[in-house]
Amino acid sequence: MFELEKKEMQISPFLVFFNIHAVQVGVGVLGFQRVIMKSAGNDSWIVVLVAGIIVSFIIWLMYVLLNRHQKDIVEIHKDLFGKWIGGMISFIWIIYWLMIGMVTLRNYIEIVEVWMFPTINIYMFSLIFIILAYYCVTGGFRIVAGLSFLGVCIPFYLFFTFLFPIEFAHFRNLLPIWNHSIKEITLSTKDMILGYLGFSTLLMYYPNIKHPKKSHKWAQLGNILTMVIYLFILIVTIGFFSEKQVSKQIWATLSLWKIVEMPFVERFEYIGITSWVLIILPNICFSVWASTKGIRKIFNLKSKKVVVVTLGILFCVTVAVQGRENIALLSKTMSYLGICLIFIYMPLLTLISFLLSKIRRGKFEKGN
Amino acid sequence: MRIWRNKRKTDRNEKDQVKDDSFQVLLQQLTESDEFTQFTYASRSSMLCIGYYSSLIDTEILHRDILPYLKELELISSLPNVIPIEEVTLEKNTTVIQDQLLRGHVLIFDTNNLNQVGLAKASVERTRQVTIPEVEFSVVGPKEAFVESLDTNINLVRKRLPLPELIIKELQIGKISKTRVSVLYIEGIANKENVNTVIQRLSELKVDQINDSSYLTQLIQDNQNSPFPQLIDTERPDRIASVLGDGKVAILVDGAPHGLIGPTTFFEFFSAFEDYFLNWTVASFFRLVRFFAVLFSILVTPIYVAVLTYHYELIPKDMLSTLITSRSAIPLPPILEALVLELTIELLREAGARLPTKVGQTIGIVGGIVIGTASVEAGLTSNVLLIIVALGALASFTTPVYQMGNTIRLIRFPFLLMAHYIGLLGVAVSFCFLLIHLLRLSSLGRPFLEPFYPLRVQDLKDSLIRLPFSKQSKRPILEQTEDTVRFNTAKAKEKNE
Repeated sequence: MFELEKKEMQISPFLVFFNIHAVQVGVGVLGFQRVIMKSAGNDSWIVVLVAGIIVSFIIWLMYVLLNRHQKDIVEIHKDLFGKWIGGMISFIWIIYWLMIGMVTLRNYIEIVEVWMFPTINIYMFSLIFIILAYYCVTGGFRIVAGLSFLGVCIPFYLFFTFLFPIEFAHFRNLLPIWNHSIKEITLSTKDMILGYLGFSTLLMYYPNIKHPKKSHKWAQLGNILTMVIYLFILIVTIGFFSEKQVSKQIWATLSLWKIVEMPFVERFEYIGITSWVLIILPNICFSVWASTKGIRKIFNLKSKKVVVVTLGILFCVTVAVQGRENIALLSKTMSYLGICLIFIYMPLLTLISFLLSKIRRGKFEKGN
Repeated sequence: MRIWRNKRKTDRNEKDQVKDDSFQVLLQQLTESDEFTQFTYASRSSMLCIGYYSSLIDTEILHRDILPYLKELELISSLPNVIPIEEVTLEKNTTVIQDQLLRGHVLIFDTNNLNQVGLAKASVERTRQVTIPEVEFSVVGPKEAFVESLDTNINLVRKRLPLPELIIKELQIGKISKTRVSVLYIEGIANKENVNTVIQRLSELKVDQINDSSYLTQLIQDNQNSPFPQLIDTERPDRIASVLGDGKVAILVDGAPHGLIGPTTFFEFFSAFEDYFLNWTVASFFRLVRFFAVLFSILVTPIYVAVLTYHYELIPKDMLSTLITSRSAIPLPPILEALVLELTIELLREAGARLPTKVGQTIGIVGGIVIGTASVEAGLTSNVLLIIVALGALASFTTPVYQMGNTIRLIRFPFLLMAHYIGLLGVAVSFCFLLIHLLRLSSLGRPFLEPFYPLRVQDLKDSLIRLPFSKQSKRPILEQTEDTVRFNTAKAKEKNE
């Protein structure tokens, strides 16, 4: 049962590396330090590693499931649970994907509001993003994947700017190692997972990969790159700030940039935030693309209006959610939903898929 | 150029059919034009009638190679054997006769026998001489450029590629211009899919006139609304010969001193053919400079506007004082200041392009020196911006392909407006839009941003940089060539030893 996509809509397996990495790195990188260092302190780097390994395991699990079925998750649901229940579960996933887009865009706009333009017109600004996403998503999956590729390569120079704070860093802050309990580590691992979320869109674009089985190692490498970047920024942060300072920095990464100084530019966080447009846009495009494709498959729609509707919902929610608490609530809901879906539902689904196929095969053999 | 409406088309078809009826009607129609010359000429056995468009034929051929031999003619059917010209035919079909007459043939017929008429080619082509390239001038390398005659142009290409595999497919496009369009490719190298795409798109065209190859670029490129050209326009026969060897398809148009090349990529527009005449290190450096120039040209004025409107914190203290002194007396906001200057440069360019060369130079001096200095002294623009805008304009002129240079100059304006609206974010957003647009573009169905997306490491050797020829042993993947190997380096080495 090979129902893969048309060849023009497919991408080569190594691009999965960029896709996975691009969706994982979003606004989270700009302010993840405070959340995880709250309970894990200077041992947070262990947290980053543990979370990365867990995610790596989940990616493996996804590939086990997808390689067995050679289909996207909406159709797997249809196969396993029938049209109605399967459709409903798929719909939850779609809501989750759409929420990733919302959270990314809303958080980004908040950063822009706080750091660059306190009086920016949120309606216009999100509308610009919506138009960009529309232009990208209507081009098909190849364009979305291409944007994620460029969105990883072009702003990559940013990570070199974190070398500037090293000059003032005290890496002795990392010591003593392992002075936190397992409970504390587990607690912040849960928070760290949020920084890795988004890779589940793989469940939707799996049929768009040319030799999907070969892409597994690239997906894992993409996840490792994300881990390395988080680790790098975190270690610089631990060295540069004291634990107390970090607890007061909502966006510690941006604060790190303040120290960057070049003969022609100061206050590098402006350039950082600006370049971040290229990092979050693929994020939004992926989430919109995945949910659009999901909706089309569940309701058997073909029209281009689905993209407009998806983007419309994205726009409305982004504009409607105002204020720090509401944004935090939105992010929290998304991360709970994500953790439930990915860490509880995914293993369960893989198990069910195994069991059901065994039962069905048994019936088939009996019938013969 | 108007696309023909259906109604008019049928009208014309009906007329065509009426014309078909008899040779007499055709003759009558022909003589309506005063330029059509017709006279009788007595041969040994009969009275011959000779007719031609006097502007289209070479009278020397007529007097030297046709008329003297007609004396001996006995039967019109033996005409091809008598006249010492390679293209002498006998025809009955009046439409063909008419076409051939319009292509410079001489009509010869027996007044008593109208069943069959002879046509002898005596056409003369009045074109200019092959001159040195002006748009793509290079200091070293060949100095031949295409001219307006298709046959001369094909000759220029073919003498560089003496291959039987070089195929030239000729089509006729345009209801009233009947332009000859040739598609060139090398059999066994070029991908058949590319060739078929070009031929199909050309033959499906419904237009009345093709006056230049640039008409075709606009009509057959993948996205006709994009400001980016998706076929390279070149006046160098050596460039066409070279890319044919890469497996590309070339289009030459009669009456156009420029040929078209496809499929192509965005980065190819920034490679001058001169790059291949220089050492690879130098050539790579120049290419990088050019590419940097493009980014500079697009981004620098918008960044100036964004920074001075919103983010002056970005500028270090020492630099800020320079900027402040230059801008302190300027009454205009940065966006207006920039727009005025950018438009001035565009005006200068446009005026320079429309005027004869000698007057054009004066314009350059008046514009560049007088307006520039005066506007700074008058306090209308800051001299920092003047430098930036002038550099940006200069940078945009480094693009080797003229059409691309125009595009670069155009897309600066949306960037400027967005920079004024939301500062650096506007620049970033416009840049994203540009990227998505480039990602969506294709040239003859091949991705436009190749070799970067899709990433093809092998093709990087001739994109932003140009590696030495010894490393170019394989043809680019972009064209999906049938024969992927240019030359075998291993074999070459063996031979040398």
